[in-house]
Amino acid sequence: MRTSVKKLATAVSTSVALMAAGQAAAEIQIGIAGPMTGPVAQYGDMQFSGARMAIEQINANGGVMGEELVAVEYDDVCDPKQAVTVANSLVNDGVGFVVGHLCSSSTQPASDIYEDEGILMVTPASTSPEITERGYELVFRTIGLDSMQGPVAGNYIASQNPERVAIVHDKQQYGEGIATAVRDTLKDQGVEIAMFEGITAGDKDFSSLVTKLKQADVDYVYYGGYHPELGLILRQARQADLDAKFMGPEGVGNKDINTIAGEAAEGLLVTLPPAFDQKAENQELVKAFQDKGEDPSGPFVLTSYTAVQLIANGIEQAESTDPFEVAQALRSGTFQTPIGTVEYDEAGDMKSFEFVVYEWHSDGSKTPVN
Amino acid sequence: MQDLLYFSQQLINGLTIGSTYALIAIGYTMVYGIIGMINFAHGEIYMIGAYTALIAITGLASLGVAWLPVILIVALICAMLVSSSMGWAVERVAYRPVRGRHRLIPLISAIGMSIFLQNYVHLAQGSRNIGFPALIEGGFNFGSGDGFQMSLSYMQITIFITTLICMTALSLFIARSRTGRACRAVSQDLGMANLLGIDTNRIISATFVIGAALAAVAGLLLGMYYGSVDPLFGFIAGLKAFTAAVLGGIGSIPGAMLGGLILGVAESMTSGYLSGEYKDVISFSLLILILLFKPTGLLGKPEVEKI
Repeated sequence: MRTSVKKLATAVSTSVALMAAGQAAAEIQIGIAGPMTGPVAQYGDMQFSGARMAIEQINANGGVMGEELVAVEYDDVCDPKQAVTVANSLVNDGVGFVVGHLCSSSTQPASDIYEDEGILMVTPASTSPEITERGYELVFRTIGLDSMQGPVAGNYIASQNPERVAIVHDKQQYGEGIATAVRDTLKDQGVEIAMFEGITAGDKDFSSLVTKLKQADVDYVYYGGYHPELGLILRQARQADLDAKFMGPEGVGNKDINTIAGEAAEGLLVTLPPAFDQKAENQELVKAFQDKGEDPSGPFVLTSYTAVQLIANGIEQAESTDPFEVAQALRSGTFQTPIGTVEYDEAGDMKSFEFVVYEWHSDGSKTPVN
Repeated sequence: MQDLLYFSQQLINGLTIGSTYALIAIGYTMVYGIIGMINFAHGEIYMIGAYTALIAITGLASLGVAWLPVILIVALICAMLVSSSMGWAVERVAYRPVRGRHRLIPLISAIGMSIFLQNYVHLAQGSRNIGFPALIEGGFNFGSGDGFQMSLSYMQITIFITTLICMTALSLFIARSRTGRACRAVSQDLGMANLLGIDTNRIISATFVIGAALAAVAGLLLGMYYGSVDPLFGFIAGLKAFTAAVLGGIGSIPGAMLGGLILGVAESMTSGYLSGEYKDVISFSLLILILLFKPTGLLGKPEVEKI
C-alpha cells in the first residue's frame, strides 16, 4: 500500500513538472474542442482537419510573433454536459484560445466558462443566435446565424408556392431555433403551416410522424436538426410513399445522410455556407488538404481554418497573447480569410455571411439551386 | 373513411413497434421471473444482435450472395448465435459470481456490463450511425387515389409474423418441454428446485440465452425496419422494453407481450393524434398510472418481494 502511494505521488509530481515545462516553452496553445466521437463526429472531423491544417501552415510560415502554435484537442461528443467538462479542463490546462465548440447546445454552456475565465472562443459552426446575444466579450464565430439561415430557407420554400408546409425539429437549441426562424419567415410570406412539431433526437421510429405528414398532405417539409434523424425520416417517408420535398439546414448536409437514407436522399434541399473550396483564391489551400488525403468540401473545414487564422491575426495585431486584447483587435480589424473578408460587430458576429440553397444527391454530391 | 384509414395506419405502426418491444421485453421478464434481478445489459445484447446481423448481411453481399431468404436466414442465425453467447457470457462473468448477495450488487454489475458493452461497440464499430440495407421493400396500399393512402409494408408483415412465431414457440417451449418445466420450477422456488435435482445454474444460463436470442431477432428486424444502427440504439430500446415488461407485469411472459403492444400503440397514437413531443410523456404516465393502481403490472402475480 505504502509503495503504491509513493508511486502515485511520484507520478503526480512528474506530471506537474511536465505541465510546468510545457507552459514555460515559447508556444501558444490553441484548444480545439468539438465532437471526435458520437452521432455527429463527422462534423467534428471537418473542424479538426481545418484547424490542424491552419496550425500546420502558420507554423510552417514561422508561427505567430515567432512562437509556435500548439493544438490541444478535446472531445465534447456534442453533449452539453461533456462540453462543460471540456471547458473546465481547458481552463486547467491554461489554454487561452479555443476553436469550438461545434454544436450550439455545447457552445452555449462552454462559453459561459470561457468568458468567466478569460479564454477567447471562436466557434466555426454554432449558428444559434443566443450564443452572441449575451454581450460576451470573448465569443466570436466564423459562421452565420440561424436568424440568417432560416430566412434563406423560408424564402426559398415560399418562392416555390407550396400549398402546405410542415416544420419538424429535434427540440434542441440548434434545430428548434432554426425551425422557428423558418416558420416566422413563412408566416410573413403568408404560407400555410400545417404542422410545427418536435421529435426526440435519438429516436429511430418515425412511422407515426410520416403517417401524420401524409395525412396533412403537405408538399414541403422543413426539418430543423441533424442528419441521423432526418436520414431515417427520409427513408421511412419513401417507404410510406410520402410525396413531399424535404429541406434542412447545414446540420443535415453531409455524406452520412446517404448511408442512412440511401436513394431517399435524392432531391433533399439543404442551406449551406457557400462552397468556399470552389473559390478560385482557395485552390492552393484545397490542394494542401487533398495532398494530406483530406476533404476540404465539408461546410466547417474552412470555417475552422479561418477561426485559427483569425486568432493568429488577432494576436499579431494586438501584439499580445492576452485574450482580451486579441478580442479588441478582432473587433476593430478587417481580415482576409478563405471564407472572405471578415469584419466583426460588437456581439462577435460576422457583419455579413451568406447561405446558399443546394440540392443534395443520392451519391453525396450537391448542386446549387439559386 | 379517411379517418378510419389514418387510425388503422397509426394502429399498424404502433403494433409493429410494439411487437418488437415485446420481443426484447421477454428477456427482461424471464430473467426477473427466475432470479429476480433486472438485466440492464439486455438492451446492449439487442444492439449487438443488430450489429452482427448487419455485419453478416454486408459479408454475404460482398461474397455475392443475392438470394434474399439465404441472406436473412444466415444473418438471423449469426445474430442469434453471437447474442446468445454474449448473453451466456454476461451471466457467467457479471451475474453468477454475485448471485445471492444483496440485491443491489447484481443490479450495479448489470449497469456496469451495459456501459462496458456500449463502449466496446463504440470502439469496435465507431460511433456513427451505420445504414442498414433495406432488404424487404414494397407493400400493400389501401385507400382511394387522391385521399390518404394506408400502407402495410412487407417489412411490417414480416415483423408481425416473426414475432408471432417466436412468441408461440417460446410459450410452447415453456409449457411443454422438460427445460421449460424446469424453468417454471426454478422461477417458483430456486432453492427447492435445486434440492429436487434440477441443475439451476444450467436453467439460469438457458434463460439468458433464450432472452438474448429473441433480442437478436428483434435487432435484425428493427435494424431493417428503421434503416440504421448506432451503439446507443440498444439503450433507448432497452428502456422502452423494460417499461413494457413492467407494464405487463414483470416476470410474466404473456404480460411482456401485452405490455409491448400497449406501449407501442400508445406511442404511435400519441404521435398521431397529439404530438410526437408528448410520446414519451404519455407512455411513461401510463406506466405510472398502472403501477399506482396495479403495482404488479397488468398480468403480474402479486409477490412479497420486489426490487
